Amino acid sequence: MSQTLTTAPLVKTPTAADWKGRFLAALPFIVLVLLVLIVTSRQPNFVALGSVRGLLESMAPILLLALGQTFVILTGGIDLSFAATASFGSVLLALWLPELGVAGVFAVLAVMTLIGFINGFVIAKAQIPSFIATLGALGLYSGLGLAISGASNIRISTGYEAIAWITDIRVAQLPLAALLVIVLAILISVAMRVLNRGKSFHAIGLAEQALLMSGGSTVRIRILAFTLCGLFSGLAAVMLAASQHSGGPTLADTLQLPAIAAVVIGGTAITGGVGGPIKTVIGALIIVVLRVGLTAVGVDPSFEQIVYGIVIIAAVVLTIDRSRLGVVK
Amino acid sequence: MSTPVLEVRNLTKTFKNVVALDDVTFEVRRHEVVGLIGENGAGKSTLLKILSGIYQPDSGEILRNGKKTVFRGVKDSAKAGIGMVHQEQSLVTSVTVAENILLGSEGNAVIAGIYNWRALNAKAQKQLDKIQSPISPKEHVEDLSFAQRQMVELAKALGVEEFSEDEPVIVLDEPSSVLEGDELEVLFAQIERLRQIASVIFVSHRLDEVLRVSDRVYILKDGKCVAERNPETADVDELHRLMVGRESSAEFYRENDQKHVHEEKVVLKVEGLGKSRAFSDVSFDVRLGEVLGISGVLGSGREELTRVLFGAEPFDSGTITLDGKKVRFASPVGAVAAGFGYIPAERRIEGIAQGMSVQDNMFLADPRPVSFGPFLLPKKASEIASQWIERLRIRTPDRNANISNLSGGNQQKVVLAKWLNSPRLRVLILDHPTRGLDVGAKEDVYTFVRQLCTQGIAIILLADTLEETIALSHSIIVMRDGEIQSRFDASPGNKPKPVELVQQMV
Repeated sequence: MSQTLTTAPLVKTPTAADWKGRFLAALPFIVLVLLVLIVTSRQPNFVALGSVRGLLESMAPILLLALGQTFVILTGGIDLSFAATASFGSVLLALWLPELGVAGVFAVLAVMTLIGFINGFVIAKAQIPSFIATLGALGLYSGLGLAISGASNIRISTGYEAIAWITDIRVAQLPLAALLVIVLAILISVAMRVLNRGKSFHAIGLAEQALLMSGGSTVRIRILAFTLCGLFSGLAAVMLAASQHSGGPTLADTLQLPAIAAVVIGGTAITGGVGGPIKTVIGALIIVVLRVGLTAVGVDPSFEQIVYGIVIIAAVVLTIDRSRLGVVK
Repeated sequence: MSTPVLEVRNLTKTFKNVVALDDVTFEVRRHEVVGLIGENGAGKSTLLKILSGIYQPDSGEILRNGKKTVFRGVKDSAKAGIGMVHQEQSLVTSVTVAENILLGSEGNAVIAGIYNWRALNAKAQKQLDKIQSPISPKEHVEDLSFAQRQMVELAKALGVEEFSEDEPVIVLDEPSSVLEGDELEVLFAQIERLRQIASVIFVSHRLDEVLRVSDRVYILKDGKCVAERNPETADVDELHRLMVGRESSAEFYRENDQKHVHEEKVVLKVEGLGKSRAFSDVSFDVRLGEVLGISGVLGSGREELTRVLFGAEPFDSGTITLDGKKVRFASPVGAVAAGFGYIPAERRIEGIAQGMSVQDNMFLADPRPVSFGPFLLPKKASEIASQWIERLRIRTPDRNANISNLSGGNQQKVVLAKWLNSPRLRVLILDHPTRGLDVGAKEDVYTFVRQLCTQGIAIILLADTLEETIALSHSIIVMRDGEIQSRFDASPGNKPKPVELVQQMV
């Protein structure tokens, strides 16, 4: 048959557009290095062990939330309820720890995972936009959290020992739990590479129709993304409760913007398909260094949310691939 | 000699990586019928789309009565007096003839969005009179025959006269492909009449007709205008050789490679299948190594049928039996697991996963051949991917290149590889597998279809052209209005003629 085959037209070698893509892919890392340099020049003790520890501690819950969100954003969706869910989870934990102890931690994680599953099930089965479904869930779970907590923070004293290790155990003076979160991100990234279905989240974000027409179970993968997002919200809830010694109905709410910002600034495309957990780690590092840097240059902490909002928009403007979008919804 | 009414000089047009038109030059003289022939993919439609202002050429120019003109859109071309009669009819079937003829050029027949029916009908009648058509402007297009609809299109095309000072140039794109006998004679008479009031470009791949009606013939091949012939001295064989550059169409479609189906084993059996408002009572068998072609016009239900078979849409009644076992799929997930494969017409959306690598696309349907349990075996995956790239002659920088950067033909080869990779493949549905491919890539697809047959796979084919259906299939069913109208044997040496199928289609 070989002689009957004809040669097809030429395929181009890397173009200016490809180089631009490579630059954008490396941009988050460059930004991180620049930020560290700038902050260090203002605060020479920034790279000292003590501040690195503080950095990791404040990053851990943001990174957990952001990792969960990464799965969803990779599929081209978004989960707006994840921070509210985490707040709700911290309330449950505060209520359950005194009686259940360690079992309470697992119970909270189970409930959070179930919440994620329900989100995913509704979105994938009923085919409604994730943005609107999770906006509804946001209202639902923050309302539930307020109701069962009596709209106030609940201090955890009895049963705290079940989660005390999170803040107590240190490796080379660095918090073990925070390091484990980074290890977790690496493990997920490895899994995406070595598993034969590891690129399924990406495939949905890039070409859901093509995956469906190849026999891929797009409904299941979407549900899985939201379920994982729920589980990670639960982990973030446990971590926050440990560091704050309490659970509260709005405990994680201020992490909503920084967590989404961490995902998109790390280079995961808001339209889905491109990115991954390692990028999100870089993104989360940028966010916390930025936070420290803002304080260092004397910006009032109440302006932080303004900066996160701008960062999200700027990161999306820079990275969005307009050629792939017919109409932007 | 007077100035040509329309002149095209050095027109070039490329799409991404494919050269569609390469330095094409030709002219149309006053009251002349110019034949334009070429195979599918030779560049005819691109040329016509440039003439009607839909595409802009990369270089080259268009001259109207010696004056350089640029068509930025369909309106510009109409203003210059160029009227199109499209191959796929572009009429709105649910409204009247008059509304269709004046669509977009109603003028004073519409006041504040409300029709003045009397003015509208009178205007339409004027156009119909030009071609002496007996069709009433008040008739609904859906009640007309295919040939009558074509006359309406012609009247509509002549409407360009109303806003152009020049005599119109009418382009007839494959007007004869679905006509036969008397209808054809009517068309030829019509062209003779047109010659009195306009100049005509007659696009066709039926060579005898082109020779009969044209004053001069241009031959397009692979985007180039390769020759100009005088019908009085040229014959069909010569035109054919110029057009395809090889002996016969049988060779193009690899007809000699087609094997008889000796196996009696039925792979796929469909009985009384029905889906409301799409099709009903569809029954057929596909045997091992057989290609079943399904023909039908848009709305015949054949597209819906294939989507139902693949589990992408549900069905209401009947049964689907695969290898003796009744199956019913809730989604393509089940269909693929059972051994169905689907090469969709919407290649860029449903066929390839844009943004993913060539290799990842190849294992999108079934990664098991390159897996150990849930783990990917990277070495094996790269080996197999490289093998496919070599075997199918996929032109790609490497196996990790983004599939979006490949040409359409190479993308289609990756889609083929995706299904050929799956050891469980039993039935492959080819939905317009050669759509938008250049000639060379088409030939490759035909070769693979032949090979797949010998590998014992059952194939269902929805082809782009009747010629393709007939050449590739072992048997053909013709669908019309959701029902099987007739069945044809198309085994090697016993091929039906396109016109026989067409009679059943419309």
